[in-house]
Amino acid sequence: MELLDRYLQAVKKHLPWRRQDDIIAELRANLYSQLEDKEAALGRPLTQSEAEAWLKELDPPIQMAARYQPPRYLIGPAVFPTYRHVVRLAWTWGFIIYSIMKVVEIFTVPNPGAGAMLDYFFGVPALFFGIAAWCTLVFAVFEFAVARHWEPVSRLAPLSAGWAPCTLPPLEPAAPGNGKKPRSFGQALVELGFALLGLLWLLLVPHHLWLLFGPGAAYLEASPYRLASALVPFYWCVVALNVIQLGLQFENLARGRWQRPPTWQKIAREVFALVPLVPLLVVSGHAFVVLKHPAQDETLLGPGLATFNDAVFAFLLFVTAITILQLAWSLGKLGLKTWRTRAAAAR
Amino acid sequence: MTLAENLFENLRLELRRGCLTLAVLAQLRQEFYGYTLRKALAERGLEIDESTLYPLLRRLEAQGLLASEWREEDKRNKRFYRLSSDGEQIFGQLLDEWTAINASISAIVNATADTTPSSTTNGNL
Repeated sequence: MELLDRYLQAVKKHLPWRRQDDIIAELRANLYSQLEDKEAALGRPLTQSEAEAWLKELDPPIQMAARYQPPRYLIGPAVFPTYRHVVRLAWTWGFIIYSIMKVVEIFTVPNPGAGAMLDYFFGVPALFFGIAAWCTLVFAVFEFAVARHWEPVSRLAPLSAGWAPCTLPPLEPAAPGNGKKPRSFGQALVELGFALLGLLWLLLVPHHLWLLFGPGAAYLEASPYRLASALVPFYWCVVALNVIQLGLQFENLARGRWQRPPTWQKIAREVFALVPLVPLLVVSGHAFVVLKHPAQDETLLGPGLATFNDAVFAFLLFVTAITILQLAWSLGKLGLKTWRTRAAAAR
Repeated sequence: MTLAENLFENLRLELRRGCLTLAVLAQLRQEFYGYTLRKALAERGLEIDESTLYPLLRRLEAQGLLASEWREEDKRNKRFYRLSSDGEQIFGQLLDEWTAINASISAIVNATADTTPSSTTNGNL
C-alpha cells in the first residue's frame, strides 16, 4: 500500500540512522498485519479515504519517530533543583562582584560621565544572561555524563549523599500575620539593582549637578547663589547610609533571607536615617545656600536668602521630628512584640 | 478541552504509564509480536496506541526485561518478544508492588466511604 509506505518513509527520516532500518522493518510488519486484518474484516482493500483515516489515527511521523528516542532534556529532574540553586547563587555573587567593580571604576576614573551609570545598567542583563548560559552549559554536560555513564559520575558527585539534616538552617521567626506575600528572589535582586543604581547616581551628582536639579542646574550656575560647603558632610553621610543599606541587602541575598529581612535591620535603617540630618541641623547660621559674591549682593539678596534658609531649617526640623516618631513607633512595636512573645513563653 | 478535562487527561496518562508496562510484561510471559500483542491486550480491555506500545517494547528490550528474535510468519518477517529471565524477576517484584498498592488504595477508598455515608464513592477499582 503506497500510502503506508510513504508514512513509513516519513517516520524513517526522523529516526537515528543506526537503528532506523530495524525499527522500520518492525513497524512495517506490525502495521501491515493490522492492515490485513482490517481488509479481511471488510472483505476488500481499504479505499484511499479509509486508508487516510486509519493512518491519521496514528501519530504524525515526526512524533511516532520521537517516541523511539529516549526522553531528551538538557537538565533532568534529578539535577534541576541543584542547577536552580547554583544559578541563583552565581547570579547573586556575580551581581555583587560586578557592582563592586563598577563602583570602584567610578571612584577611580577622574571625571566619570553619566555614561558610566548607563554602562552599569545595560551591563546587568548581559551579566545575568551570561551566567545563566554558562551554568546551563555546565549542568547540561553533567546531565549528559550522568545519562551515559551514571555509575562513575554518581560516585564522583553524589547529589544527595552529602546531605545531612543537622546542616538545615535554624527555624526562622514566624511570619507576621498581615498576609503579605514574602519578597521573591527576583524582587530582592531588582531592589538591589535599583539601590546600586541609586548609589551610582549619588556618586555622580557632585560631577554633574543636572542629575539632581535637572534643567535647574543651569539656572543655579547662572544665579548669584551656590550650595554651601557645609552640605558636604551631609552628602557623605547619605553616601555612607546607602553603602550600609546595600551591604545589608547583599547580606540578606547571600545568606538566603531575602524573603523576610530581620526586624533589627528595619530599626537600624530608621536610626541611620537620622544620621545625615545631624550635620544639616548644626550648620552654622542655617546657611544651606549662600551668595557667590556676598560683598556685592548681601544688601539686596541677603534678607530673602536668610528667610529661605530659615524655612529649609524649619522643614529639616519637621523631617527630623517625623523620623524620630517613626523610630519610636517601630521600637514600641518591637518592644510590645517581644513582651508578648516572652509572656506567651512563660505561660 | 477544558482545564479540568486537561488535568484529568494528564493524571490519567500518568496513572496508566506504569500500569501499561506491567500489563505488557504480564502478557509477554507468552511470546507475541507487536501487533498481536496489541490485539491480545485490547481483547482483555487494555487499548494501547501503536505509537505507545511499539516504542515501549524497544525500551523494555533495551533495559533487558524482554528478549526478541526476528522470525518469518505468514511470509513476513516479524519481531517476536518474550519476557527475559531478568524481566521475569522484575515483573514478579512489580506485580507484588502493584498488588500492595491496589490493596492499600482499596482499603483507603473503602475506609473513606465508610466514614462519609453521603459520599457517592463506591470504592471499586
